[in-house]
Amino acid sequence: MEHVKSLHACRVNHQVSFKGQLLLGVNCLAYDEAIIAQQDRIQQEIATSNPLVSDRQALTVLQNEYAHDDSIYQLKIKDLHKKYSYIRKTRPDGNCFYRAFGFSHLESLLEDSKELQRFKAVASKSKLDLVNEGFTEFTIEDFHNTFMDLIELCEKQPGLKELLGSFNDQNVSDYVVVYLRLLTSGYLQREHGFFQHFIEGGRSVKEFCQQEVEPMSKESDHIHIIALAQALDVSILVEYMDRGEGGTVNHHVFPEGSIPRIFLLYRPGHYDILYK
Amino acid sequence: RWLSVKRLMKEAAELCDPTEHYHAQPLEDNLFEWHFSVRGPPDSDFDGGVYHGRIVLPPEYPMKPPSIILLTPNGRFEVGKKICLSISGHHPETWQPSWSIRTALIAIIGFMPTKGEGAIGSLDYTPEERRSLAKKSQDFRCEACECSMRTALLPPSPDRDPRPEDSEAQELAQQISFKADSRQASESGGATSDPPAPGPAEGSSPGERDSSEDPLEDHEDQVDPPGGREGGERERERERERERERSSPPPGWSLNHKSF
Repeated sequence: MEHVKSLHACRVNHQVSFKGQLLLGVNCLAYDEAIIAQQDRIQQEIATSNPLVSDRQALTVLQNEYAHDDSIYQLKIKDLHKKYSYIRKTRPDGNCFYRAFGFSHLESLLEDSKELQRFKAVASKSKLDLVNEGFTEFTIEDFHNTFMDLIELCEKQPGLKELLGSFNDQNVSDYVVVYLRLLTSGYLQREHGFFQHFIEGGRSVKEFCQQEVEPMSKESDHIHIIALAQALDVSILVEYMDRGEGGTVNHHVFPEGSIPRIFLLYRPGHYDILYK
Repeated sequence: RWLSVKRLMKEAAELCDPTEHYHAQPLEDNLFEWHFSVRGPPDSDFDGGVYHGRIVLPPEYPMKPPSIILLTPNGRFEVGKKICLSISGHHPETWQPSWSIRTALIAIIGFMPTKGEGAIGSLDYTPEERRSLAKKSQDFRCEACECSMRTALLPPSPDRDPRPEDSEAQELAQQISFKADSRQASESGGATSDPPAPGPAEGSSPGERDSSEDPLEDHEDQVDPPGGREGGERERERERERERERSSPPPGWSLNHKSF
């Protein structure tokens, strides 16, 4: 009987999990609350020392982040200097890829009205695509509206300060992140036949999206980047800087072979924005 | 916070009318505290029960999940204790801002027949106790929102809803049961358990009741016939087994669920 009961639990659990991906974590309530509290404290600390999106800084700031005798990183930073002059940092809160991408692209739209119009049309239509895929309209439209508001803000050619201000307003900024996550999830699911091959752990694309894409603070990997780049048709170049041998920084362009508009610096677990 | 307000106003409009499975509305003076009623899943010890509770929304909603607190004794969740709706490294699943209060209600209904396993906030009452509480739950009246469990929800409909907008959810429900079955088989060697599988013509179908005042009496007759309780139960169980073999089991309560 015990056995049968637990199967039942598993089954129902699974059903809810698949449909809503919503588990009532009653199994570990007190524990969860302690974890939440601790996570909140950590987030608080990160928040006070890092703006969501920083001012643009000379790339030389990177040199001071590593020990002078840390030759691997110091060599790679030198290599990075050959191509880039500035960096803009994002808060390391698990949403940095989306925030870096969102800000960097909207910033570039301030000086490119043609791309702005194209992007606006794509962004505008994207909500309908998501709704057609099964996302509930009233739960996603606020995120979409906030995203569109920012694109329209760019259309009015505001100062950079205003755009930076919006991206540092936690509410606005997080809503943009949610929408970019939804776009990523929507694209992955639409193209699930292709992306299924890249998902580890025997999960379906939908499960992957509900566990690794849509929840806030879940970090991004290649698969997220390629999906978002393709969903919005914006090419992204990522410079990878880690402890690997070689003294040079390797890069990847998403999608492969495209001409990059957005330049990001990846260091294990984190993305910042690069400028030539 | 105005973004939360805007969103909650939309949800209040969306959930304005009771369905046969759930209803939730904010308190008059506080958009961040809601009261809800949910119907116990038909093929479970909570069959016939309607349960009431509070939903507390954080100021960051929908970026942070709601908390749920049951007010009706039910034998599965402790009354008055917060049930957390997400997180932690133990479950890879976590709250998503595109979920809604409705998602939470559907989840709680689906979660009722799962095992409590001695967790904080969970109860593992016996089936008899749960059935008895299910019956009693109809008598519950909430002072704060002035609603009675007898009239809080629409009476259960006799048939599965054939509305076209449900077909997608129905399709999904079939995938779900298929997935769940294969999981069961791999873990148990195919032993049958008691899936929450309300067939459309189940012997104890709530649909046979035709008004919201009747269920209690019907229910009493079925659950506790004088002197024949155990036999009646077993007969019902066998009937359900037969029913299950005939129909694949998308649970009736899930058919309206579109926000996945």
